[in-house]
Amino acid sequence: MNSLDVRGMACPLPVVSVKRALESAEGELRVLLDDGAPRENVKRFVQGRGYQVQEEQLEDGFAFTISGAGSGAGKGQAAPVERSGATVMLIGSDRLGDGAEELGRLLMKNFIITLLDMTELPDRIFFLNSGVLLVAQGSEVIEALVELGNRGVEVLSCGICLDFYKKKELLAAGGVTNMFTIAESMLQARSVVRL
Amino acid sequence: MVKDGDYVAIFNSIHRVMEAERLLKDKSLKILLIPAPRALAADCGLAIRYAEEIRGEVEAALAEAGLLPRDLYRKNGEEFVKIGEEK
Repeated sequence: MNSLDVRGMACPLPVVSVKRALESAEGELRVLLDDGAPRENVKRFVQGRGYQVQEEQLEDGFAFTISGAGSGAGKGQAAPVERSGATVMLIGSDRLGDGAEELGRLLMKNFIITLLDMTELPDRIFFLNSGVLLVAQGSEVIEALVELGNRGVEVLSCGICLDFYKKKELLAAGGVTNMFTIAESMLQARSVVRL
Repeated sequence: MVKDGDYVAIFNSIHRVMEAERLLKDKSLKILLIPAPRALAADCGLAIRYAEEIRGEVEAALAEAGLLPRDLYRKNGEEFVKIGEEK
């Protein structure tokens, strides 16, 4: 069985390394990885591609045994971009538009709460850069984001950004993701709405 | 975003609603600036939501600062009842 150790790697390297290994590996792949975001991101990635994952807790992290053919492209080549039909929203700031900062924050808050009145919701919302301040404790749109999550919208934040703003432990809505997933999701989307 | 029994205060300008928000937050009152519910006409499209428990404090602070809302509503079930015009 091929094996790979991605412990200690910074986001999004664990996912990228696993992707490369799966493209070239035959049979099962054993991956050693850290708990937390790497574990969640790699699991979401491989399961999203149709692989089966068996998890095993180690003294130092986790081991995944990844098996199954996967639904991506064949070995040794990059997966073709398959349109997911999803609507993806990218929120790269805690403010909406240019101009007065206070007004920008108010407009962003207003926008997110207004989404609750829409009949057609985005499938996924990614929060990047200062946008992650909106998903952390103390944000006034947590209630709205949790409700959007309950209605099936995937709320995901950039792990590096949470780390940068020291909000990693304060995430109050949705999950953590990496740039690999964000880029892939955007390229596969039917439409990308960027704020 | 507006639960049964909550109050919704409508202001007649963006500047007043922002000033009111700042004032109430400075007093650590648990209010939230929200898009005005569609059923209620608001020039600036914004409103301040608060719960019954802090109504007295909120309205006293707004009155003292000369920032009383143009209209005030209470959510009763699915309806908004205008305060001062209750049946």
